[in-house]
Amino acid sequence: MERSLDQLVSEARGGGPRSQRAAARLMSVMTDQPHRLAELLAGSRDWPQPRLVLGITGAPGSGKSTLADHVVAELRALDPRRKVGVVAVDPSSPFTGGALLGDRVRMMRHATDSMVYIRSLASRGHLGGLALGAKGVVRVMGLVGCDIVVVETVGVGQSEVEIAQNADVVVVVLAPGQGDSIQMLKAGLMEAGDLFVVNKADKPDAAQLQQQLLAMLERSRTARLDLAHGASEPLVCHGPQLQGPGGPIDIQQDRPPPPMDFDEETPGVFLCSAANHQGIKEFVAALEELTTRQAALWQARRQEQAVEEIRQAVLEEVRRRVSHVLQLNGNGENQIRRILAGETTLNELVDWLMDVAASGTNAKSPAASDAKSHLRTEAAGRAEFA
Amino acid sequence: MEKSLKPRLLIGKPGLDGHDRGAKYVAQILRDAGFEVIYTGIRRSPEQIVDTAIQEDVAAIGLSLLSGAHNVLFGRVLELLRERGAEDVLVFGGGTIPPKDVPRLKEMGVAAVFTPGTPAREIVETIDGLLAQRPAV
Ligand SMILES: Nc1nc2c(ncn2[C@@H]2O[C@H](COP(=O)(O)OP(=O)(O)OP(=O)(O)O)[C@@H](O)[C@H]2O)c(=O)[nH]1
Ligand SMILES: [Mg+2]
Repeated sequence: MERSLDQLVSEARGGGPRSQRAAARLMSVMTDQPHRLAELLAGSRDWPQPRLVLGITGAPGSGKSTLADHVVAELRALDPRRKVGVVAVDPSSPFTGGALLGDRVRMMRHATDSMVYIRSLASRGHLGGLALGAKGVVRVMGLVGCDIVVVETVGVGQSEVEIAQNADVVVVVLAPGQGDSIQMLKAGLMEAGDLFVVNKADKPDAAQLQQQLLAMLERSRTARLDLAHGASEPLVCHGPQLQGPGGPIDIQQDRPPPPMDFDEETPGVFLCSAANHQGIKEFVAALEELTTRQAALWQARRQEQAVEEIRQAVLEEVRRRVSHVLQLNGNGENQIRRILAGETTLNELVDWLMDVAASGTNAKSPAASDAKSHLRTEAAGRAEFA
Repeated sequence: MEKSLKPRLLIGKPGLDGHDRGAKYVAQILRDAGFEVIYTGIRRSPEQIVDTAIQEDVAAIGLSLLSGAHNVLFGRVLELLRERGAEDVLVFGGGTIPPKDVPRLKEMGVAAVFTPGTPAREIVETIDGLLAQRPAV
C-alpha cells in the first residue's frame, strides 16, 4: 500500500500531531525512492522555503556537530517561535553499505524540542544521488516551516562537497590538531568556504591556525583579483550601437548584479569554542545579517536551479533503471561477457538495455533472440567502427 | 549496482547508568550487517528516544539496558510510540535482563530480547526476520 504523496504533504504541512511523522516519511521518500524524486522536487517548488540553508563542512572531528548544536541553541534562544532544521550526513561503509550515524549524539538536548527537526543521512557512496536526496530533505524541512536549515557533511569526497554547494552559505570548520591547513587547501575545501570557523579556540594552537588561515585567504584573494583583472575587463564592441527613441541604449545596464557581493572580499573568519558556546553569538549574528541582506537573491537562485534539479533527478532515475536491467538474474554479466567474447558490441548492449528499461519488462536479451538477427546487428555494429 | 536499502534502526541507551559498551557493540554489528544505524548515546530519556525515532523514520528501536529498570523503560517507550501513532516501529532490547523477565516483556510488545552472549549472527538474523514481516510503507 502506497500512501499518496499528496496526503503526506498535506499532513506534514498541517502541523498537527501527525505532522512530524508525515514529514519524516516524506524525507524517507526523498532519500530512498529515486523514482518519485523528480515528481516530488517538481511539486515542491511552491512549498515554503527556509530563508537560509547553511552548509557546515570540514575535517572529521573538527567540531561540526557541536557547532551545529550550539548554532541551533542560539537560534532557538533568539526567537522561540522559530523552527530550525539540521541535516547531518555521516559516511556509509564502502564495504558493507551500512552506516553508524552519530552526529545526533551532540544534539540530543534538542530531541524533544518540537521546533527542531534533525535528520541523519548516510552518504551511501557517490552513486546514491545523495545530493539530490539531501536537497529533498531540506525541502521538507522548509515545508514544515523551518526558517533556517543546517546541513552538516564531512568535507571529504565528491558528494559531500556537492551537498555543501547546494547550501546558500558554506562554512568550513577548522580545528587545531586536525592536520595542517595545507591539506585542506588540497582537498578544495578553501574554495568551498564562504565563511570559516576556527573551532576549539580553547586549545593553545587555535590562534596560530587562525593566522595561517587568514594569510592563506588573503593570498588566494589577491590571486583571484589578479586573474579577474584580465577576464572582467569590459568588452567594448565597436559595431553600430542600438538606437532607442532617447538615443543610444546602454546594454550593460540590463545585466543582472553579480550573484554574491561578498565574493570579492576575504571570507569572514570566526574564532569559536563551540563546546563552550564561545563566539557562537557573534557567528550567528553575522549569519542573520548576511541572510537579511541576501535572502531574496538566494530565493531567486534556487528557482533558477529547478530545471537542473529535475534534470539530475531524471538522469538518476535513468541510471537506476538501466543498472537494474544490467543486474537482473546475472543476465547482465552474461551480456558483458558476450562483449568480451566479441559476440556483441557495446553499442548494441546499450541499445538493448535502454529498450528493456523503457518497456519496464524483462525482455529477451540479444543472446536469447535468434542467432541470425544477432549476427546481422553485430555486423552492423562492427561496420560503425570500421 | 542497485542494492536494496536496509531499514534504518535506532540504538539508544535509556537509564542513568553510564557505560555503553553493549549498545555500541550492537550498533557496530548492525552497521557491519549493512543497516544504517542512528546512535543516540547514553542516558537518554524514553521521550528523547521516541521523538528521535519518529524524526529519523526508523523501522526499529533497539534499547540497551543495564539498570534493571527494564520493565518500566520498555513500557514507557512502547506507550509513547502508541501515543504518537507510531506503534508499527519495532522495539527490541538487550543487556542484563534476567531470562525470567523475557516473557513478560514480549507480552508487553517487545519484539525480541537479546541476553548477554547472544551471537552477533543471531541478533542480525532475528532483526532481519522481524523487519521482513513488516508491511512496506
Ligand atoms: N576542546 C574543544 N573540543 C571540542 C570543541 N568543539 C567540539 N569539540 C570536541 O571535538 C570532538 C568532535 O566533535 P564533533 O562535533 O563530533 O565533530 P564533527 O566535526 O561533527 O565530527 P565528525 O562528524 O565525526 O566528522 C568531540 O569530542 C567534541 O567534544 C571545542 O570548542 N573545544
Ligand atoms: Mg559530526
